[in-house]
Amino acid sequence: MAKHTDLSIDFLGVKCENPFFLSSSPVSSGYDQCVKFLEAGGGGIVFKTITTDLPDECSPRFDATRKEGLPFVGFKNMEQTSDKPLEENLEALKRLKQEFPNKVLIASIMGMDEDDWTKLARDVTACGVDMIECNFSCPQMTSEGMGSDVGASPDLIESFTKAVVKGTHLPVLAKMTPNIEKMEEPAKVAMNAGAHGIAAINTIKSITNIDFDKFTCLPVVNGKSSISGYSGKAVKPIALRFVAQMKQDPELADVPISAMGGIETWEDAAEFIMLGAENLQFTTSVMQYGYRIVEDMISGLSLYLAEKGFNSLRELVGIALKNIIPAEEIERDFKVQPKINYDTCIGCGRCYISCFDGAHQAISWNEEERRPEILEDKCVGCQLCLLVCPVWDCITPGKILFKDQSQLGKGSKSVFTEDAPNARRLKVGEYNRP
Amino acid sequence: MNQLNTSRKIEVKEGISLKPDQGYLEETISPFTPFTAMEEASRCLLCHDAPCSTACPADTNPGDFIRAIRFRNFKGAAEIIRENNILGGICGRVCPFEKTCEGACVKTGIDKPIQIGRLQRFATDYEKATGFQVLEPAELTKDKVAMIGGGPASLAAAAALAKEGYPVTIFEEREKPGGVLTYGIVPARLPQYVVDEEIDYVRSLGVEFVCNTRVGRDISLDDLRKQGFKAILAGAGMQKSIKLDIPGKDLQGITTAMEYLSKAKTTKGNIHPGKYVVVIGCGDVAMDCAITARLLGAEKVTIMYRRTREEAPANRAELLYCESLGINFLFTFTPVEFVGEEGKVKSVRGAGSRDNSSIEVQADMAIYAIGQRPQDLSSILPEISFDDKFYIMSDGSGNTSADDIFVAGDIDFNSNKTVVHAVAAGKKAAASIKKYLEERGGN
Repeated sequence: MAKHTDLSIDFLGVKCENPFFLSSSPVSSGYDQCVKFLEAGGGGIVFKTITTDLPDECSPRFDATRKEGLPFVGFKNMEQTSDKPLEENLEALKRLKQEFPNKVLIASIMGMDEDDWTKLARDVTACGVDMIECNFSCPQMTSEGMGSDVGASPDLIESFTKAVVKGTHLPVLAKMTPNIEKMEEPAKVAMNAGAHGIAAINTIKSITNIDFDKFTCLPVVNGKSSISGYSGKAVKPIALRFVAQMKQDPELADVPISAMGGIETWEDAAEFIMLGAENLQFTTSVMQYGYRIVEDMISGLSLYLAEKGFNSLRELVGIALKNIIPAEEIERDFKVQPKINYDTCIGCGRCYISCFDGAHQAISWNEEERRPEILEDKCVGCQLCLLVCPVWDCITPGKILFKDQSQLGKGSKSVFTEDAPNARRLKVGEYNRP
Repeated sequence: MNQLNTSRKIEVKEGISLKPDQGYLEETISPFTPFTAMEEASRCLLCHDAPCSTACPADTNPGDFIRAIRFRNFKGAAEIIRENNILGGICGRVCPFEKTCEGACVKTGIDKPIQIGRLQRFATDYEKATGFQVLEPAELTKDKVAMIGGGPASLAAAAALAKEGYPVTIFEEREKPGGVLTYGIVPARLPQYVVDEEIDYVRSLGVEFVCNTRVGRDISLDDLRKQGFKAILAGAGMQKSIKLDIPGKDLQGITTAMEYLSKAKTTKGNIHPGKYVVVIGCGDVAMDCAITARLLGAEKVTIMYRRTREEAPANRAELLYCESLGINFLFTFTPVEFVGEEGKVKSVRGAGSRDNSSIEVQADMAIYAIGQRPQDLSSILPEISFDDKFYIMSDGSGNTSADDIFVAGDIDFNSNKTVVHAVAAGKKAAASIKKYLEERGGN
């Protein structure tokens, strides 16, 4: 058997056999579901948000965005918190912890006021769970002062976090809403109020599609619909950005983060870890494909770590943060021009079209031979052509050209040369196409 | 039908699955849904120069209609097809794609071509299903045009002229228009409702059909001129099947492809298909005969062909489909005798065309599918030139040696003998007719 690196990692002082957790959502709302996921290999579960009052749900309540033949590019959800009575949920938590003592159980809670938050924290702590996640961020709650209303209000975050900490000795995670400009501020408020870590991101307020006959958004609930949370692969780039910005903030650099937002594959998972997350959650991909996907997350990530020579998952945490720098620090004195492999080029002309219509008119089209030709004097090295080429390994990074100090600030009039003295320091031309 | 009794579909060609219980009247290839159409359209590279469009004889413009589907403009896709090809739904089913658009598809350089025919069918089906009609009738105020024969060439020419405001009357000797579409091609490839709908489409543009009327018998060329038809299109096909002059040729149970197919089609399959059927020839018509026989319950169907599989003119997809139906192929055998008993055929004897083999195949039905020829229309159209096989001589654009007589379809010696080429020829002839009528200064 190929070498696998162990994926166990401590999170908030709790040992997790792997970082893959179900997020609080329809996929973690019942005992049987949780058992199935844990048996499939999941490291733990954030049990669906428990409240004192039970919500009434609408039907239908989901929608998905598609692209061409691809389903679930993004996913919209109108469901609120657990619709099961408090006692039933508490009972499920107890049983799960008893039957799976080595798995990690996180109770997600949402109170109506400070007292309710404290009471819920006490209730779930009594069940033996390992930590508590405060849901400050559900964007589709029907009651005011709950859900993402809280996440957008520093005062409410502060008072509710304090209320939860008052009711438990367990580690407390504050789950952030992305429906704000900067996540660092509410995260700091939660940490200063006694939280031990941050969970991010909850879903993004969205309208996915409009019904062309009924003229409202989807899903249509008796002719009407509402804005509600968006998740799935489409939100991953936004989630990654929020996580990176928190981890790059000096005050939050050491704060443990449980990250989520569009995790479908081990690669998605690894990306969040490289930006500093120590724990991962997902739902949308499970709603589409089932719990079994965790098997490929575990296998894929441990094989990758072994291939790269990492001895533990911890070594990967935050590894990319130092290489994500402000735009003004990016080097802008060279360009990497593409090269076309004519042995594999099929002559579709897509690079020609994209370069002319969407870039710098640096590819000409040889009509007779049906092939693109790069015009070196016009090519700025943007590499749009690499991205649109449908053939594996046909267009790749090629010649590197430099401009010296005298050419900086001249924009498109800069003169580039091939043999600049600083050529050797560059780490370009590496081609890693997903 | 033993081979068909399997619970799973048999993959014949990418995307073409044979249903275990395929019926004679049932279309073999399943339609795309909006999901699968989007999936297939998004496989398309949307090439800069769209070689698929260049390769379409009828200018149906797949490059543009696939892009329309890809960007979810399904009605726009139907519009692109219909404006260029009135028989778009038919061509989307019977075109020899591997020799036209799909053969030119650049995606083949990566894996396999886009299923252009199926996408075309999706768009025309969508047009129908949504009650959308691309083409609206024009006011028919110009010179009258008559057409002889109601096959694909005439239908395409008639639609093109009607769109320009020319009243067109099609004279068809059989009960229904459509020619080979109605009386030839097997429903598994082309269900009759598709043919009927597209003929209705032509009719909706104001084209009139006079059926059961044979020019030369029921009405003469002079009559047509006297009735005010200023231009006449000979759009006839090839009705005469080529036969073999070999011993036993007059036995009962020997028939021609056209007779066999047309009888099966007009009775919706209510014929005696034969139990042991030998089809002679290996073109698309032979495939249709073999498929008909097999789907109607013939126990054993054998195709006897004098050349090799590689040389067979049939579409590969059809050939593979026949093979999947359990049809036997005897390549490099030429029939040399029909053996009979009590006046009925009981076997076909074949001799190796490339060696000294000989074979005798049991047969209670033998079908000639080795080509057709046009009927002799030279006495009906005395003013124009024919070649020695009764094909009409033309300039490649539908002009004949008479000013007001034009030609399109298989009777044209320039014809390529496929539906899509007939559509192309019909459009070209329509353009020539329009030019002629404009130049002579009529309406």
